[in-house]
Amino acid sequence: MNTDRLIRWAIWLYLLVVFVFVFTPIITSVIFSFNSDRFPTVPLGSFTTKWYQTVISDPDFWKAVRTSLLVSVCSGVLATLIGFCTAYTDFRYQFRFKGAYIALALLPPTIPLIILALAMLAWLSKIGASGQVWSIIIAHTVLCAPFAMGVIRLRLQQMDPDLESAAWNLGASEWSAMKNVVLPFAKPALVSAFCLTMAVSFDEFTVSWFVSGLNKTIPVAILEVLQGTVDPQINAIGTFVFFTSMTLVIIAQLIFTARTNRSS
Amino acid sequence: MSQIVFENVVKRFGDTVAVEEMNLSVEQGEFLAIMGSSGCGKTTTLRMLAGLETPSDGEIRLNGKRINELKPSERETPLVWQSLALFPFLSVIQNVEFGLRMRGIDAEQRKKQALVWLEKMEIADLAERQIDQLSGGQKQRVALARALVTEPPVLLLDEPLSALDANLVVRMQGVLSRLQKDLGITFIYVTHSQSEAFAMADRVVIMSQGKIEQVGAPLEVFRKPASRFVAEFVGSNNIFGGKVQSIEGTVVNIETALGLMTAEWENRAALSVSDAVEVVISADNFEITSTKGENENAIRCSVVSEEFIGTVVSLLLETESGVELKIQKQQREIAELDLHVGTELWINWVPDAVYLLP
Repeated sequence: MNTDRLIRWAIWLYLLVVFVFVFTPIITSVIFSFNSDRFPTVPLGSFTTKWYQTVISDPDFWKAVRTSLLVSVCSGVLATLIGFCTAYTDFRYQFRFKGAYIALALLPPTIPLIILALAMLAWLSKIGASGQVWSIIIAHTVLCAPFAMGVIRLRLQQMDPDLESAAWNLGASEWSAMKNVVLPFAKPALVSAFCLTMAVSFDEFTVSWFVSGLNKTIPVAILEVLQGTVDPQINAIGTFVFFTSMTLVIIAQLIFTARTNRSS
Repeated sequence: MSQIVFENVVKRFGDTVAVEEMNLSVEQGEFLAIMGSSGCGKTTTLRMLAGLETPSDGEIRLNGKRINELKPSERETPLVWQSLALFPFLSVIQNVEFGLRMRGIDAEQRKKQALVWLEKMEIADLAERQIDQLSGGQKQRVALARALVTEPPVLLLDEPLSALDANLVVRMQGVLSRLQKDLGITFIYVTHSQSEAFAMADRVVIMSQGKIEQVGAPLEVFRKPASRFVAEFVGSNNIFGGKVQSIEGTVVNIETALGLMTAEWENRAALSVSDAVEVVISADNFEITSTKGENENAIRCSVVSEEFIGTVVSLLLETESGVELKIQKQQREIAELDLHVGTELWINWVPDAVYLLP
């Protein structure tokens, strides 16, 4: 009885510590984004939204937002598409070296980002495609596809393998079975894979910094501001980025778990 | 002309042969059960009919036309799956409509037809439910409605009742039997359960290791097994090796582990003195008495164990020479004998009860 309670307290304490460590810096950043003082010190100055106003009125910021959105939406779509194809191949077919195929498909996130970024830069400039918006899209698709595959593969593993055959048996062609059975079944995973990969792309710095050239994404823009001065604008931008990514990740999580629970 | 014909059909998976030289004809409107233990090739046979597997050799014909190469979607052979394989993201009625939708039938007509079948299956009130809100029996009915809505000439069933509890199985057997009679279409029913096969089928196919062991009416298969495998598979048979001692008309005397026994055997042409034979006596063909009875065949035994399954009692007996015998009796019939482990008794059986394996 007593040890039970002790364990419970220990778990709560552990959880608390985790949350404190994860969220304190973020919350600090949010708080200082509304603080009128130029330097982040305690006691706080007065409440202000002037940093946000500065950010919003800065055309460079909007350009970075546009680039980031374009890049993350495009690479989210592409990564989800590629991820679905790889996961479906894994689900449907048995072939030699399948283990190697899966390992290869899951490889990119295991490569240190800096290596991946350098390799991407070298390769893209060799084919004359560096410094473009779509160079970032290509690089992010490579980076994100394995995440999408992971999420979609998990969902397809829950699918009764007879389901697709049942559709054929009832008169559906292979394409029609894909459209009417496999895709609807995988839909929650497709949506969450899209949100997740979009969030990854939106946050990603290293690869973007190497291949983006003049088309800065938000994380790259943040660094450039920081290199010049310590500016509370950063807190405002950080708050914005944080909430965008969190929203995407939470949506992904909610959709995936809700649908998975219901149909299992 | 038979509706479905398997001619020398072979199915190999790599080096293993799943179905070997199968020859089988199924008549229009027949309820055929294919029975065997797992891995005997019964499901592969069914999947070949549905087009989910392609025969390695031989020919499958439906109404006289070769269907080996037809895609699953080009056949009218819907299957009721063991896992049911209902679409979890569709409602009950959308599941039933699926086959019609794939055939390009318009929404209104689809709905009307689907409702007719839901009513036939007595689940019309569940039309808008989601699949995960249904009980096992209800899902079963949805699966049947979904397969039958396109009014196919043949329905394939792959162990559809294996997930249900015993009471529900008996109920669904009734539903299936009646459905098959009413529709007059062919049912091909794969199962490992003897009681399901015998209860519903017009003919039973017994398979073992990819080969057909016997095809026949349930009673025929039960009373006249064509091989030792069938005799062992279809239940409580006692099987002994023996040697023919003498033949007088249709009466054959055989020396067995139970001693000399007399058998009534019409087909005596196939037998001659000192042939080795295998003798089968069904567990329900013995009489139990406390003294030696008047039948030609009798032997003294003692009870080794007793199993009480509802109205039937299964006994394991042992003769004085140590031969074990399985016996089944109605509980009422043997109540007065007051049997318990160790009780000594006589069993006797008529010559007609002795069956010789071909």
